[in-house]
Amino acid sequence: MSTDQQDDQGSEDSLVDVAEGIDHQVAMVMDLNKCIGCQTCTIACKSLWTEDGGSEYMYWNNVETKPGEGYPRGWEDSGGGWQSSEHSERQTGEIPDQEDYGRAWEFNHSDIMYEGSDEPLRPREGAEWGPNWDEDQGAGEYPNSYYFYLPRICNHCTHPSCVEACPRSALYKREEDGIVLVDQERCRGYRYCVEGCPYKKVYYNTVSKKSEKCIFCYPRLEGEGPDGETYAPACAEECPPQLRMVGFLDDEDGPIYKLVEEYEVALPLHPEFQTQPNVYYIPPFAPGQHTEDGETVDIDRIPRQYLRKLFGDGVDEALDTIERERQRTRQGEDSELMDLLQDKNPAKQYRLGVFDDE
Amino acid sequence: MTSDTVRTVGLAAVLATLVLVSSVAAPLASARPAHEIPVTEATDADLSEPTAAGWEDVPASDVALASAPSGVPNADDTTVETVHVQAARTDQRLFVRLEWDDATRDVRADDPRAFADSAAVQFPVNTSARPPIAMGGPGNKVNVWYWSGATGSQELLAGGAGSTTAFPNPAIEANATHAGSGGNATWTVVYSRPLNATGENRTALRTDGDLDVAFAVWNGSNGERAGQKAVSEWHYFPFGPGPQGPPYETLLWTVAGVAIVAVVGVTTFGIYRTREGN
Repeated sequence: MSTDQQDDQGSEDSLVDVAEGIDHQVAMVMDLNKCIGCQTCTIACKSLWTEDGGSEYMYWNNVETKPGEGYPRGWEDSGGGWQSSEHSERQTGEIPDQEDYGRAWEFNHSDIMYEGSDEPLRPREGAEWGPNWDEDQGAGEYPNSYYFYLPRICNHCTHPSCVEACPRSALYKREEDGIVLVDQERCRGYRYCVEGCPYKKVYYNTVSKKSEKCIFCYPRLEGEGPDGETYAPACAEECPPQLRMVGFLDDEDGPIYKLVEEYEVALPLHPEFQTQPNVYYIPPFAPGQHTEDGETVDIDRIPRQYLRKLFGDGVDEALDTIERERQRTRQGEDSELMDLLQDKNPAKQYRLGVFDDE
Repeated sequence: MTSDTVRTVGLAAVLATLVLVSSVAAPLASARPAHEIPVTEATDADLSEPTAAGWEDVPASDVALASAPSGVPNADDTTVETVHVQAARTDQRLFVRLEWDDATRDVRADDPRAFADSAAVQFPVNTSARPPIAMGGPGNKVNVWYWSGATGSQELLAGGAGSTTAFPNPAIEANATHAGSGGNATWTVVYSRPLNATGENRTALRTDGDLDVAFAVWNGSNGERAGQKAVSEWHYFPFGPGPQGPPYETLLWTVAGVAIVAVVGVTTFGIYRTREGN
C-alpha cells in the first residue's frame, strides 16, 4: 500500500466516528412518522428473548408515547451517561424502582374460565402503572393535542457508559460490529450498568441475578436460525409499517450512512447524554395547529422546543431538510432523500452482509 | 548517715525497682499484638452453626472496618465499623465466625433495587507473600470465602479488583443467622473448610507459621456491593507449633519471674535483718 493510499484510507475512516478497537458499527434508523404504536416489535422481541423467569418485567424493545413518562417511568431523569463529550467522567445514575418498570400482572382468567365469575377480564390487583400506561395521552389541549410513538432499544452506543460503569468488565462492545453485550459468566449482578445507562436499557434479571439487555438479535445477524439465513433484528423484520433500517453506520453506500452523515436527518435520542447512540430517529412531523373554527394555522403542533429536548438542536435543520426535499418532489423533481425514506426494497433497508468478506 | 541507714535505703530502692519490672513485664508477655487473631484448639467440637455452644469458649477479636478504596459510585458510604472475629481449629477443619451489627436482615436480590447483606474472609493464595489488601494482585492472588444472604456461600479467587472468579468446586461451607432487632440486631456467619483441602489457587492452611487474613462486610440495605464495602487491614492467624504469642514472650516472662523471686528474697532478707537488729 502506498503512502497516498494510506492517507486516503485514514481520511475515509475519520468520516464516521466508530469506537476505538471496533471494526464496524451496527446502526438502526427508525422513521417516527411511520410508527403506528402497534407494539408488534415489542412482542417480537419479548417472545424471542425475555419470556423466561426473572425477565417478565423486561422489554428490551418498548414503544412509548411521547410526551409521556416512558418505560421505565421517568427514565429521562434517572441519570447515567457522561458529564461531557470528553467521556472522562460519568454522570451518576439511579436504578429504577420495580414499580417504575411495572410488574407482570396476574389476571383473573381462572375465575372467569373455571369459577363462573361474570367479572370482566382484568388484572387481579396492583395494576397502578406499567409499560405504555400513558399510551396516547400525549400533551396539549384540544384541538391542538399531540403525541407520537417512540420505539426504543439499546442504542449500542459508541461511548457506552454501561460498559464503563461495570467494575468487572462484564459488558463489552463486540469488536466486529460494536454490539454491546453482557458476558453472563462475568456478571455478578452489581447493577452499575443499570444505573449507568441513561436510557435504562440494561435490566436486572431477578432470577439469574445478572444483568441482561438487547443483543441486536446477533444470532439472527449471524444466520444462526434453522434456515441459516441472515436476518435483521426481529423488531425490525416484524414491524408492519417497516419503519426501521438496519445496517452499518460506516457502510458509506448504505441508507443509514446517507441519512445520518450526509443528509443529517436521522438524529440520536438525547445526545446530551454523550454516549453517542447508534440508533437514529427521523423526527416526527405533525399537521399544523388548528383554530377553534378548524382552520389550519402555521404553528407547530409538536412544540419545536420539545423535539429539541429529545433529539438535540440538529432537529431544526433535519426538519427543514426533509421539508425542502418534500417540496421538491411535490414539484415533480427527484429527491434521493425522499427515495431513501420511502424505500421498500429489503436489500437496501437491511444491509447486513456488506463487510462479510473482510 | 550510718552504714545501717544506707543499707536500708538501698534495699528499699532495689525492692521498688523489682516491683516495677515485674509489674511491667508480666502484662506485656500476655498481651496480643494488635493484628493477631487467636485460633483456639477445639477438639471434636461441632462449631459449624453460629449458635453452637462451643463458641462461648473462643475469644473474640474486634476488627476495625473502613470503606474500601474503590472507583465504584458511593465507595466511601459504608455502615459497618467493626466485625467480631473468632477462629477455632479442630483436627479436621478451620472455623471462622464473624459477627457484626446490622439492624436489617437483607437476604433478597430479587428486585432491581434489592441488595443482600454479605461478608467475606480473604487469605493469600501464596501464604509466604502478603498480597495487596484490595482483592490481591495479578501476580499475588487471594482466595476468598464469600457469603451472601441471598445466594449463600461461594469460594472465590481474585487477582485484583474486578477479577473475582468463583471456584467450580468450592471447599467451604457457611451458615448464618440474624438475631435480635433494631440497634441490637446482629448477623453471625460461620465459615469452615477442611484443613487439608487442596487445589490450584486454594490457600494451604499451614500449621507452621502465621496465616494472613482480612475481612469485608456489605450492608445490602445501604446499596453496598462490589467495591462499596467495609474492609479490614491484613490480620493474621498465629498458626504453628508450641506456645503462641510474640517471640519475646519467654524473655519477658523470665524477667518478670526473676524480678518476683528477687522481690520475695529481698523482702525476706529485710524482715530477717530488722528482727536481728531488735
